[in-house]
Amino acid sequence: MLGLSIWHLNAGQLGIGVGEFWTAILDGGNSTKEIIAREFRIPRMITALIAGGGLAVAGMIMQTLFNNPLAGPYVLGISSGSSLFVALCTMTGIPLLQSNLGVVGGAFIGALVFGGIILFFSFFIRSSVSLLLVGLMLGSFTGSLINILEATSAASELKSFAMWTMGSLQNVQFSDLTILLSIYLPSLFLLVLLVKPLNALLLGEQEAQQLGLNIKIVRISCIAVTALFTGLITAFCGPIAFVGLAVPNVSRLIFRTQNHRILLPANLLIGASFILFGDILIQLLERTVILPINVFTSLLGAPIVIFIILKRMK
Amino acid sequence: MIGFKDTTIGYTSPLLEIDNMCLEIGNVYVLIGKNGIGKSTFLRSINGEINPIQGEIQIGGQISNKLSNSIRAKTLSFTAAGFKGIPFLSTFDYVALGRTPHTGLLGRLNEVDKEQIQRSLEITGISHLTQRYTDQLSDGERQLATIAKSLAQQTPIILLDEPSAFLDYLNKRTLMQTLKRIATEENKCIVLSSHDLDICLEVGTPILLIDQRLKRIHIAEENASKASVIQQAFGIE
Repeated sequence: MLGLSIWHLNAGQLGIGVGEFWTAILDGGNSTKEIIAREFRIPRMITALIAGGGLAVAGMIMQTLFNNPLAGPYVLGISSGSSLFVALCTMTGIPLLQSNLGVVGGAFIGALVFGGIILFFSFFIRSSVSLLLVGLMLGSFTGSLINILEATSAASELKSFAMWTMGSLQNVQFSDLTILLSIYLPSLFLLVLLVKPLNALLLGEQEAQQLGLNIKIVRISCIAVTALFTGLITAFCGPIAFVGLAVPNVSRLIFRTQNHRILLPANLLIGASFILFGDILIQLLERTVILPINVFTSLLGAPIVIFIILKRMK
Repeated sequence: MIGFKDTTIGYTSPLLEIDNMCLEIGNVYVLIGKNGIGKSTFLRSINGEINPIQGEIQIGGQISNKLSNSIRAKTLSFTAAGFKGIPFLSTFDYVALGRTPHTGLLGRLNEVDKEQIQRSLEITGISHLTQRYTDQLSDGERQLATIAKSLAQQTPIILLDEPSAFLDYLNKRTLMQTLKRIATEENKCIVLSSHDLDICLEVGTPILLIDQRLKRIHIAEENASKASVIQQAFGIE
């Protein structure tokens, strides 16, 4: 991952030396290269790390909580919640919502609201397959609402929303990093507390409760963490598909374990590497075609999911 | 260890009655009764998941449904029927989950935990399977693993819902003998539901008979004949 991070920093149309990266961060140099390094390259690299790791971990938590390898923040409609709220922000024309903060806040609140809806349903619906179906329905329902908004909005608003849905790591500025990191890093430490409950949840909620867990608190914290991560990342990078679904499965296949003490760091690393790699490819292809990150993750993620299903059928 | 006094159990309407009964440590009690008569309900009532409609169930002097989560987890272990195994979950990790009530906030296993896991694996005779994944075990091996997990939980009471379903004759017999040995040597009170009357009579464990006509649970007399048990439980001569 370290290698990929360095490669990622160097991918781009302008060659920037190691020395210039150092002076850009430490001395605040103002040459073109130093500004590009500080304002574009470094934020983009760190965003990739956060987006990949965060979404993968969110997916891992959902898959364990719902005992279903096909769960994930995207499938359960949590990302759709973000999209709906961002659509409201960009296309309703209410000026208060159209600031950058409005979009970020909207995506965040959307994830929490839809996480809450899924949580609410999860109290009544025992079967996790039905719950996934509810998530899918929520997804297409919000999809239609967004379509209505799109149909009634002006071309410029439509374009800015369409750009957002394609996903991008470039929108994060150096100053945004403080917000991202100050939420992401402390949450990582809290995640360590979820390792024990998640391991017990492998046996299902009933047995986890039998092992002394307070299942309600565990459920709420799992959904809260997922909504937090999904909301945060979706806010800045747009809805990134498949990472939350594919990476946790890949992690399990590679490390051949269900122990979350290993799976948690594994997902952080593999998720981050996955997005880094994708973004490097995007930058390499930049001169011929400009691809959004969402295209890449779906392009690679979908075959992985099919592969996993085939492997499970055996 | 487990005491009943004029207890009526059931979800919303009365299902089964228990007049006066005490289940002691050192025994394996086999619950015999018709399908759907309330065997699982009985186990879940002991487990405190379902409140008795009348009377109470006492666990070591405490009322079952008033135990806190953490105390319950150290007193009772309950394994539902039909664990099919989980891909990539090793037998060791599975049995280690039985230590959950004893580990700290981060769930790390200390030396005592590891010793207990090892011991549970040895008692059930599956030490050689620790690195195998639970979905790749045979039905018999997997059943032994669930018992090892209950043992690792170190609870005086072990409840098992149909542990011998899906096993062949030999595995059923081995399982019952293993459970009987564990109950006496490890001082456990084991209660399980089963349809294998013959094997229970053969191994010689007390039978908790659910009378199909009176809807009442009682301990069958020690020298009760197979015919009389069948007559009371299933209503056939």
